[in-house]
Amino acid sequence: MHLFLIIPLAAAFMMAILARTGDCVRDIISGLAAISLAVFSVLTLMAANFFHSAVIVKSFAGFMPPAGTAFVVDGLSAFMLVTVNTVALFVVLYSAGYMNKYTDKWKFQSLFFLMISGINGVLVASDMFNLYVFLEIAAISAYFLVAFGTEAEELEASFKYAVMGTVASAFILLGIAFLYSHTSTLSLAGIAQAIAAAPSARIVQFVSVLFLMGFALKAALVPFHAWLAYAHSSAPAPISAMLSGVLIKVLGIYAIARIFFSVFGASAGICQILIALGVLSMIAGGVLAFGQSDIKRLFAYSTVSQIGYVALALGVATPLAFFGAVFHLFNHSIVKSLLFLNSGSIEQMFRTRDLSKISGVVAGAPVTGYTSIMGAMSISGVPPFGGFWSKLIIIFACLQAGHPVLAAIAVLVSVMTMAYYFAAMTPALFGAGINSFNAVKKVHGIMNVSVMALAVLALAAPLALLPEMRQRLIDGAVQALVNGSAYAATVLGAIK
Amino acid sequence: MFSDPLPILVMAPIAAGFACIAVPDGMKGLIKLFTGIVTAACLAGSIFVFREKPAFWFYGDTAVLLADNLSGFIAIAVSAFAFLITIYSFGSVERSFGRYFGYVLMTLGASMGVIFANNLLVMLVFWGFLAAMLYLLVNLENTKEAALAGRKALIIIGGTDAVMIFGIGLIWIMTDTFSMDMIRLPLDSILTYTAYFCIVIASFAKAGAMPFHSWLPDVAESASGSVAAYLPASLDKLLGIYLLARVSFDLFITTAASNLVLLAVGAITIVLAVMMALVQHNYRKLLGYHAVSQVGYMILGIGSGTVIGIAGGLFHMLNNAIYKSCLFLTSGAVEKKAGTMDLDKLGGLAKFMPFTFLACVIASLAISGIPPFNGFVSKWMIYQGIIESASSSRLWVVWLCAAMFGSALTIASFMKLLHAAFMGRKSDNIKEIREVGPSMYIPMLTLALICIIFGIFAFSIPLPLFILPAVSGVPAFIGTWGAVLATILILVGAAAGFILYRFFGRSGLRIVDNFVGGEAPEKLSRVSGTEFYDTINDISLIGRINRAESAGNFDLYNIGMKAVNFFTIPLQRLHNGVLPTYLIWCFLGMVGMFLFLFFR
Amino acid sequence: MVTYLLCLVLFSVGLYCVVRKRNIIKIIIGIGIMEYAINLFFILIGYRSNGRAPIFADDQAVVNMVDPLPQAMALTAIVISLAVTMMLVALAIRIYEKYGTFDITKINRLKG
Repeated sequence: MHLFLIIPLAAAFMMAILARTGDCVRDIISGLAAISLAVFSVLTLMAANFFHSAVIVKSFAGFMPPAGTAFVVDGLSAFMLVTVNTVALFVVLYSAGYMNKYTDKWKFQSLFFLMISGINGVLVASDMFNLYVFLEIAAISAYFLVAFGTEAEELEASFKYAVMGTVASAFILLGIAFLYSHTSTLSLAGIAQAIAAAPSARIVQFVSVLFLMGFALKAALVPFHAWLAYAHSSAPAPISAMLSGVLIKVLGIYAIARIFFSVFGASAGICQILIALGVLSMIAGGVLAFGQSDIKRLFAYSTVSQIGYVALALGVATPLAFFGAVFHLFNHSIVKSLLFLNSGSIEQMFRTRDLSKISGVVAGAPVTGYTSIMGAMSISGVPPFGGFWSKLIIIFACLQAGHPVLAAIAVLVSVMTMAYYFAAMTPALFGAGINSFNAVKKVHGIMNVSVMALAVLALAAPLALLPEMRQRLIDGAVQALVNGSAYAATVLGAIK
Repeated sequence: MFSDPLPILVMAPIAAGFACIAVPDGMKGLIKLFTGIVTAACLAGSIFVFREKPAFWFYGDTAVLLADNLSGFIAIAVSAFAFLITIYSFGSVERSFGRYFGYVLMTLGASMGVIFANNLLVMLVFWGFLAAMLYLLVNLENTKEAALAGRKALIIIGGTDAVMIFGIGLIWIMTDTFSMDMIRLPLDSILTYTAYFCIVIASFAKAGAMPFHSWLPDVAESASGSVAAYLPASLDKLLGIYLLARVSFDLFITTAASNLVLLAVGAITIVLAVMMALVQHNYRKLLGYHAVSQVGYMILGIGSGTVIGIAGGLFHMLNNAIYKSCLFLTSGAVEKKAGTMDLDKLGGLAKFMPFTFLACVIASLAISGIPPFNGFVSKWMIYQGIIESASSSRLWVVWLCAAMFGSALTIASFMKLLHAAFMGRKSDNIKEIREVGPSMYIPMLTLALICIIFGIFAFSIPLPLFILPAVSGVPAFIGTWGAVLATILILVGAAAGFILYRFFGRSGLRIVDNFVGGEAPEKLSRVSGTEFYDTINDISLIGRINRAESAGNFDLYNIGMKAVNFFTIPLQRLHNGVLPTYLIWCFLGMVGMFLFLFFR
Repeated sequence: MVTYLLCLVLFSVGLYCVVRKRNIIKIIIGIGIMEYAINLFFILIGYRSNGRAPIFADDQAVVNMVDPLPQAMALTAIVISLAVTMMLVALAIRIYEKYGTFDITKINRLKG
């Protein structure tokens, strides 16, 4: 368990130490670290689901919760760990080629691994304050990474992201303070027990609002979404991929799911708020994406829209809906990272992000072009890619729960998604290339490899729906959400 | 031969398609041979399945793939078209061999999947896959117009795909199953009507009925000839009307009200599309609008609700695929040799491309509904169906008049096409022209021959074998149509006229050069056929409709885009980039949540 | 009770500063005030009446101490806010170099 934190932290420090040596050594070390993280996360997932929704607990410094702190991995955490580390692996591979155009590559790698350690920490944290600390580690590394290129726009974007993120963190901290004063314990399992004893105290609702505000801002739900368009469009491509694909989900959606479903016990009011936020995000993100001419800003607003889907599914709160939410998280991580990485390749080739000036990507760089098409088709919901299945499940879950209006809205937003993706990308992808195409750089080999691997994953994602695979991969996560209130009992039971 | 032919028919072409894409373009001989073999095998397989029907394929304990009367003959038709167009493409495709044949094969496999699917989810998967393949096939042309056309097609078809998901979801919560042979819902509540129309919308978009038709002329204009023949002409119609038939007859029990909607859509489609086709200057766009119009006939037939009308609609679907793809193939041949699709610049090709001309003439006569070709038989059956449905609604006169009016305008526009492209004086733009190679004219002539056979021998071959088993009930034909006798009489009459002309007609005529006002003009510009109907636009109503259509006002895609932009602009202005604004939204959101939670 | 309310008032002052001031530096100071208020709130939560400092010594009984846990949390929060403030100030300096102004309504190139 602690390996998830030790490996990236060690890698981060080694990058800093090895600042003077050549790129090759650092690239190899970072690659090894990423691969080992990915492998270890898959092993953890197998273990967690093999013991059928059991919880793995590993204490820290010998004190058991609720007195000490521990690292806890249950089905949901294991699944998210796999998602995070797989995406991180491919992004590391990609950035080995992409970041050559920036100086001080070691700073990038060091900060990147700090961010990964923060994200992993949020996933394995078992008490509130650990969650907060690792959240801050990840967020601060992200603020720095967004500003990495130090162009004027990147600095502006990073500043706005930082201020909004800090306000959100302040609210979360305030919420933690109030919660502690009520429950006198920080461990998530302990808090769950204390709240189960007195569920409808006013202070719990007050704290819920504070937490929702903070975490919804991290998750970029409307109306807390404004920073996303700035941060994700101005950051370097691998960082956009990590932010959009991973950071939002873990810091925002996972935290909401963990706190509200496992610890507070899902109440009807919270679920309705989640549905409302989800619907707002889907529609606003979709509508705003239409007017964009910057390719990365388009993807950023699309992320807002897709996270809205996940929030909607979490709010509907039936087992099928949880399945759809978790699966959509996975699909969206893979596909959004793929799209952002490709946008980085396109930016490198054409030196602009403006879609009206780009044409002929498929002719000039077939791998980039075709994987972009596959990614866009997956998110728009074209079979047989994974995105089609996850949207199908979410729509069916809304219908099954008796919300036909919500399902109709989801269908409408799906049509909008397909429209804005292909309306914007088709003239850029096809059509004869511009005249100066021959003078443009080709795409580095390793960037192609990582992008193709992600595309293959997007195509293979529906295999996870076959019953045998599903049991091993996703069911644990779904169980963790469905039986949220059993979290405390399971954790404390596993300790004894 | 094989114990499980159905899944092989579905998956083998898809796998073969992947293989074709992976092979580099240099090995084009191998690719062509491979594709030819696979499509021929598919044709053989589907004939085999047709004889053995009904055939099932089980996964677990539910029938996932099912071949019954309706799907059996459509499968044969689909694979026959794939085979013929593959042969045609041997001569016509000039680049991107691997990708082109690969996509063709994958489309074939996915179509088989849609046709044989018994599980709604399986059908949905293959249906959406087809939309993606259409997009990729159209974009093989790599021009800007092709990109825009492909995008519009994908968005319209893919968007209605999502609507179909909603319909299928509604069916699922009403019946708790996805197997199509176990679902039979009466149309009695809002939920069932919504589910029915959601799926019907998806089939309309695929077939190209109004108001979802706007992708068809664009794709027809900018895709290559063989792609246009494969997809919008034949496959999409076959699959779209197959879905409509399946939904209207097997999944739901339709009522007079839903049939009324179908009839209205069919009639409007026929008339409006044919009027647009009259004034087109581009060969393929004209054919594209006609494709839209013919779909109207099919929907009219299915909507009539009588056995003979439905049989007529299905037969028209088959016939339309035959002569429409023949026409598109001729357009491909003309483009390859003359280099242009602009009717103003073509002319006089009949002398140089006799086979193409012959195929085009036969197909044009068939599409216009001239006896004894197949178009006549199916249209006649549809008219009878409408007349028979007179008992259920008063509006049958309107539908009948619309259908006949459309038929008249169809032949008018095809006269224009034939004259402008093939007859008259040769245009000066065109250099030396020769006929296309046999790999291209053999499929055209085969299709033309099928038009003739299905017309003359309609009651012995296609109807009893294919169509009538698919329709429940026995049709009662009004009046008599002795096809063979009529054909013999027509031939005798034509021969008599020809003999008269040859031997007795010439002697009394004096042939003189053109002159104007007593003087020979220097150079009389040739009259192109496209100006025949320009006066139609002077009729104010029709002119306004035509202008609106070309401006894209009936285009659902454009309307949708404009509607969304209406909302986008104010939202974008709200995001004015100033940080405190965003923070204030956050607080408003928080306050909203507070109020909600505390005052529930 | 009054001290808690005053603490929250301090927090609101910081919040007002972040939202309404146009100078970047003032926004950063506002964030600082907010963090300060939260830390103060933590310490206040830990207070027990007539409690004494929570020092574990051999000769004193473990009785009636103030809660040490919020103090630890406050320390951690101080470190985190140090990192954030440092980064924000560095960003502000670089923004001034690029944009030439500290006014946030003028630092506005990305829109829409």
